[in-house]
Amino acid sequence: MTEVRQKLAHCFSIAFPKMDPGDYATASAGNTAAWDSVAQVTLLSLIGEEFGVDIDFEQFEGATSFEAIAERLERSSASA
Amino acid sequence: MRLSEALRINSEPAGERERHAHLLCGFTPLHLETFAKACLRLRFPGEAIRLHTGLYGDLEGNIQRAAGQAGEGAIVVIEWSDLDQRLGLRASAGWSFRILEDILTQAAERCLRLEAHLAALARAMPVALVAPTLPLPPVTHLPPARTGVFELRLRAILLDFLRRVSEASAIRLVSAPSAGHDVKMDLETGFPYSLAHADELAQLSVRCLFPAPPKKGIITDLDQTLWKGILGDQGVDGISWSLEDRSQVHALYQQTLASLAESGVLVAIASKNDPELVEAAFKRPDILLKEDQVFPFEVSWGAKSEAISRVLKAWNIGADAVVFIDDSAMELGEVQEKFPGIECLRFPERDPAEVLALLRQLRERFGKDDIQEEDRLRLRSLRAAAIIEEERPAEVSLDFLSRLEAKITIEAAGPENTRAFELVNKTNQFNLNGKRFTEAEWKARFARPGNFLHAISYEDRFGPLGRIAVIGGYTEDARCVVDLWVMSCRAFSRHIEFQTLRRLFDRTGAGEIDFQFRPTERNKPTQSFFETFLPDPAKQNEIRLPLRTFEERCPPLFHEVTER
Repeated sequence: MTEVRQKLAHCFSIAFPKMDPGDYATASAGNTAAWDSVAQVTLLSLIGEEFGVDIDFEQFEGATSFEAIAERLERSSASA
Repeated sequence: MRLSEALRINSEPAGERERHAHLLCGFTPLHLETFAKACLRLRFPGEAIRLHTGLYGDLEGNIQRAAGQAGEGAIVVIEWSDLDQRLGLRASAGWSFRILEDILTQAAERCLRLEAHLAALARAMPVALVAPTLPLPPVTHLPPARTGVFELRLRAILLDFLRRVSEASAIRLVSAPSAGHDVKMDLETGFPYSLAHADELAQLSVRCLFPAPPKKGIITDLDQTLWKGILGDQGVDGISWSLEDRSQVHALYQQTLASLAESGVLVAIASKNDPELVEAAFKRPDILLKEDQVFPFEVSWGAKSEAISRVLKAWNIGADAVVFIDDSAMELGEVQEKFPGIECLRFPERDPAEVLALLRQLRERFGKDDIQEEDRLRLRSLRAAAIIEEERPAEVSLDFLSRLEAKITIEAAGPENTRAFELVNKTNQFNLNGKRFTEAEWKARFARPGNFLHAISYEDRFGPLGRIAVIGGYTEDARCVVDLWVMSCRAFSRHIEFQTLRRLFDRTGAGEIDFQFRPTERNKPTQSFFETFLPDPAKQNEIRLPLRTFEERCPPLFHEVTER
């Protein structure tokens, strides 16, 4: 697991404390009842805190799965 | 606190006890809710926190609805957009100069309505009110470097509103800093604050709403602390606390202690010094902490911890209610080792900014809502107690008590009796069960049918002690139950507790009284009192005292009693 995904998994453990860590990789708003709009903002704020970045909401528009968020984070860290 | 830490605290398992509180604002509460809940979890460990919020954009309605619900407190956060939506970033009705007058009219009307709703809420529960912390948006034609008439008039409307609502006793204004405005978050989600600001606001609001019980006493060192210099080396005229001598921080410290003493905080000296020199130093006319504001002076060459021990004995309070201040880390360490509960703070004489931070810290530890008669009497009665201690024999003799000319006043008290509330929440030693109350719980206990609460005042030939005891409970048919009984340690050894029961039996006509007793680590004096009547009270959860047993074992009482 890349460092980005490890950090993201840590954010998931806080945003969704009841989720099994084994389910993080496949988690999405579609299969996670607790993943509503408030949880999405909380998750993005946690990511901002964990990665030490100012979150650009537009960048994460439609990113409602672990995989999609991880991809966008990896893309932005590669271009940084 | 970081957001991740707050979320972790909130997800920890809680006990069965549920505490309901409200967070009322016109914006999306989002992270403020998370931080506030975490602060409440930390303030009330082991309890489940139910923090109720309201609807977006409806601060007035949220306050109205909360006033009709259960809750032990409410945090109300007002922002400019709650006074008029055009003062927020999420409205786009125009910022023409033609609408400015209308904004002022709307804001004034909104303030009047909020005032009425807040008054109703404050009747139901204590309220912590946060005034706008966000910067005003650029609504006027003026450049941001200038403040114009519109802003001044708007702030005047707000200040007048805040002054009016703060006059209601159950509304406390939170002293909040200007906001870190997260504009992007505001526009995207409707939550306007940076994480750091939300955290700070939550902490301040919770501290304001549920303040920790204040500490009771300060013990201070002298050399390089109360004043600059070493008294033994430099003499009485060589020590200083003034701007001219570059020792103004000591003057600020002295005037803080004097102010705290005035508000009923006990102040004592623990110093390795020559007692005669210290006496002379306190005779200097320019000293700001006066000799009569200090009791006792423990000045000797022995260990500081021994001096502290004697001060605690004179005050008759526990170390955890006390702050000790010294410039020497070694002395602080020695005292801390002997008294782990005492809060030891170093006087940072070389850093004025740190001294100011220390003074603020003292205000935080000893802050109180108001100053009462008992605060004024406290020091005098401790001095009197010391004289009594010197005069009386080792065992309290009935002859000694009979000559005290003691007078007791017992009066019925209601929920508005703040002294009774304060006494119940800070007394440890003579305390029936150690139960503490929030303001909402305190008000609620008066709703019980047959409830009673009596406040007891005492004075004798050594002076008044003020209201020093509270007893409360309820009567049900011929049964009398006492679920609350505290007495200040200043009032021990005067048989006031026996007289209190004597009068309770008389007032209620009960043949026996049930006490909801619970032994705590600190209420040994209460346990000792009940041992007069029955063996090993510490092993019992409820004590039943028949009138006959009381009469057989109650000592002769000499108080003149007035009942109101």
